[in-house]
Amino acid sequence: MMPINTLHILNKAPDHPRTAQCKHALRPGDALLLTENAVLALSVAGGHDDPAIPVYALEPDAVARGLGRSGTETTLVDFSAMVNLTAQAQNVISW
Amino acid sequence: MAATSLQNYTLVITGAPYSSQAPQTALLFARAAIAAGHTLDRVFLYGDGVHLASSLSAPPSDETHWAKEWARFLKDNAVPGVACIASALRRGLVNESEKKRYELPASNLLEPFIIAGLGEWVEGTMASSRVIYFHAGG
Amino acid sequence: MSTLIVIDQSPYGTWEGREALDMTFSLAAFDQSVSLLFTGAGVNWLRKAQTTSKIEQKSVEKNISAAPIFGVKAIYADAKACVQYGLGLDNMLAGVAMAENSAELLHEHTHTAFAG
Repeated sequence: MMPINTLHILNKAPDHPRTAQCKHALRPGDALLLTENAVLALSVAGGHDDPAIPVYALEPDAVARGLGRSGTETTLVDFSAMVNLTAQAQNVISW
Repeated sequence: MAATSLQNYTLVITGAPYSSQAPQTALLFARAAIAAGHTLDRVFLYGDGVHLASSLSAPPSDETHWAKEWARFLKDNAVPGVACIASALRRGLVNESEKKRYELPASNLLEPFIIAGLGEWVEGTMASSRVIYFHAGG
Repeated sequence: MSTLIVIDQSPYGTWEGREALDMTFSLAAFDQSVSLLFTGAGVNWLRKAQTTSKIEQKSVEKNISAAPIFGVKAIYADAKACVQYGLGLDNMLAGVAMAENSAELLHEHTHTAFAG
């Protein structure tokens, strides 16, 4: 597991203004965790633009919205893994 | 995943129950953090998040009662749950002493939540190694 | 520890901006390093001549102007958002620094928070 500089936790739907702000703030060494409505990004084709940034999605939220299948670019995680990500990251920003 | 060092968390909930998913996500996160051996310094309710500390919410019996679930979790794990006093008073969430001070007809703060100032949040940010915010989605 | 409080909600229509200011002033009162970033619709907090009496709300213009006196380190405004909302140095409150790339500010602080 690579260390994470900043873990960005995004819980807004893909068309929410804060989603664009969050994506704009991603830097190499950061990671993105999609929770709640943000997991809807899994249904948007080509939604992930920077392959250098690992993207995680909270599996319970994805499954709840009928999006339980992990894509090639996104890793589904449970709450325990979400806790691990926040513990590994030096900083955490909740968007 | 690689082993991670144990952290001391402050959780800040700003989204209200039944209008956002924030209190649920926060509770499931909090349970997982405790299960992994981390500690919770405190849980701070801010803005609309203070509605979580109301003793008067009565959801239908087949729905999860998030205030009670949170209250049980805080008691079981001896974690302080603090509602911001400025947010709380504006939104009609009061304890006995605020009820008397403002001569209100009732108090409605659910145990073990307490009401205190934003200084509690500041202390949380200073005392803990991680501060995680749970906002309303959208 | 240095904190950046971000306000991206427009004034008066929601309470989040006010509550973000309260967080900012609390940190400053405890002598913690804190700066403010206004971005998105939040830059509208910085417009001069906010006259709120007819909507019966208190204007926050004075609070924002007093921020440096209370120990708030810096007030930043996202330059792109200012252009979008027609804000320039002529119609903005004094003491605001334009941030050409405000996303960098997030990485310069150890703690970034929204009020909601």
